[in-house]
Amino acid sequence: MFYIAIFFQYVAQYMKTRMQYRADLFVEIFSDLLFQAVNLIFIIVVFGHTNLLGGWTRDEIIFIYGFFLVPYALFSSFFNIWDFNERYIVKGELDRILTRPIHSLFQIVLERMELESLFGAVTGIAVMIYAGNSLGLEISWTDPFLFFLFVIGGMLVYGGIFVMIACISFWADARTSIMPMMYNIGNYGRYPVDIYNSVIRFVLTWVLPFAFVGVYPASYFLGKEEWFLYSFLTPVIGIVFFGISILTWNSGVKRYRGAGN
Amino acid sequence: MNDAITVRNLKKEFKAYSSRSGLKGAFRDLLTRNYKIVPAVNNISFNVKQGEMVGYIGENGAGKSTTIKMLTGILTPTSGEVIVNGMNPHKDREKFVSTIGVVFGQRSQLWWDIAVQESFRLLKKVYKVTDEQYDSHMAHVIKTLDIEPLLDKPVRKLSLGQRMRCELAAALIHNPPLLFLDEPTIGLDVLVKLKIREFLKEINEKYNTTILLTTHDLSDIEALCERVVMLDDGKIIYDGTLKSLKEKWGEGKEIEFQFLEEVDLSDLNKITASSEVKWEKDDKEAIFTAFTEDNDELISLLIAKVVADLKVKDINIKETSTEEIIRNIYDRGIS
Ligand SMILES: Nc1ncnc2c1ncn2[C@@H]1O[C@H](COP(=O)(O)OP(=O)(O)OP(=O)(O)O)[C@@H](O)[C@H]1O
Ligand SMILES: [Mg+2]
Repeated sequence: MFYIAIFFQYVAQYMKTRMQYRADLFVEIFSDLLFQAVNLIFIIVVFGHTNLLGGWTRDEIIFIYGFFLVPYALFSSFFNIWDFNERYIVKGELDRILTRPIHSLFQIVLERMELESLFGAVTGIAVMIYAGNSLGLEISWTDPFLFFLFVIGGMLVYGGIFVMIACISFWADARTSIMPMMYNIGNYGRYPVDIYNSVIRFVLTWVLPFAFVGVYPASYFLGKEEWFLYSFLTPVIGIVFFGISILTWNSGVKRYRGAGN
Repeated sequence: MNDAITVRNLKKEFKAYSSRSGLKGAFRDLLTRNYKIVPAVNNISFNVKQGEMVGYIGENGAGKSTTIKMLTGILTPTSGEVIVNGMNPHKDREKFVSTIGVVFGQRSQLWWDIAVQESFRLLKKVYKVTDEQYDSHMAHVIKTLDIEPLLDKPVRKLSLGQRMRCELAAALIHNPPLLFLDEPTIGLDVLVKLKIREFLKEINEKYNTTILLTTHDLSDIEALCERVVMLDDGKIIYDGTLKSLKEKWGEGKEIEFQFLEEVDLSDLNKITASSEVKWEKDDKEAIFTAFTEDNDELISLLIAKVVADLKVKDINIKETSTEEIIRNIYDRGIS
């Protein structure tokens, strides 16, 4: 409860700070919307050429992509930890975090949130509605709940993987370029995994389970029964991966060396 | 009575990596990196009682900040035992840190972009401080530190002195019984320093707050701390009152004379030939200083002799300053 209250305190503060620079805010919202619009057009143009891909139709692929954008938007709003090493370890900002009575990872999530990224979810939903319409999908009353569950699961998968990568900084002091590489690998989850060979499929399912952010949960809404088991595994995988990442984080923090001045 | 801080055989080692030279060395570094284990804090033990103000001093790199980081739960010790406020700082970290306040002079604890009062408001929630507690306590803190006019400015727009005062106030929002200050007066002007000292003294008296502070400005210690712990190369080389440190290591007194007439060093040496005195004159030849043992009788005898023979304009008896004493100890080591 306390954490939820604190979360909203930070959100309120975030909004307030943003409002202070109102002109900036409008420019930013405008450019965000513009960016999402361009994104949308881009998707339709790019996928316009693919008609069938490993048994998936163009609209199905667009639908998966739209779904992917939603957990991804949540992830990028709350897990801005790509510069964790430079900001918190090298500069020693973690010192400050560790002297406050809130879980350290949660504090970083709060400090670094970027709520503008949530616009991506709007684009995602728009894309899903567009593709869903062309496919003639129907919405049942359970769909919104499952959608919510799958989206949270997908966000936790993404968050878990990136938190674990951030944790490398606790053990190795050399800078790593794994972060950008991981963003690239993350993109593979947007496409149906059965178009890849079995090794990549295995990796995307069990090792770096990005498939649970896009294709698996989206398959449920597309009515692809052969994938339903995986769809329903989404929240489980999310919780497991995120749980492991928190345990890794907790033991990593114990090894934090601080920045020598 | 329970001690605020208990430290037993505390040790922290860092791995210091060194890279080998040349291309071949770089390749070997890839496989196995050379490192030395450097003990930053080496088997120290001490206790601090509730309500004490302790000065923690030592040269650059002595291990002061490392100790504070272990006491505040930021770093995990390599070995040894730490009990602070009855808890182990590394277990139960979140519960522990709400019983301490921390200020690092070198680094800001506040959020850079938001106004000071917003920071305070957020911290108030973080520390679960009620409105009544906040109002009764912080109104006073804000007034004493004179930061009212700064409250609506973002931290990045404050000067160092202004920021430090806000940092101090922020560390006290939850009115912790124990305060750690790592170089709180670094880079501040005299007035701000005085204000901060006054303030620390006041909260110590009012709330019996325990304060452990490191500083390179010994006048901070003289103004605030009865007790000093001196660290050298990760080891405690002195732990006791400032007074006995001075008595033990203060080597004699200095008496400065200014004369109304032309005086020569040889005259003075002649006058005081019977006692153990060393004379020196400053560059402008206006002030003559006699160095002598710290013995009241000897000193009055010396003054009497000088005054009997020469016309004196001004006399000033000085103790060896703490600064000098400490410098001597750093230079020569304690033995
Ligand atoms: N994160 C770190 N990694 C490696 N070595 C470190 C680290 N932090 C401190 N050290 C080393 O430990 C020793 C003690 O450092 P510490 O910062 O505690 O000194 P200090 O007494 O606070 O000095 P100063 O007066 O300069 O602040 C130094 O030799 C320093 O190089
Ligand atoms: Mg230091």
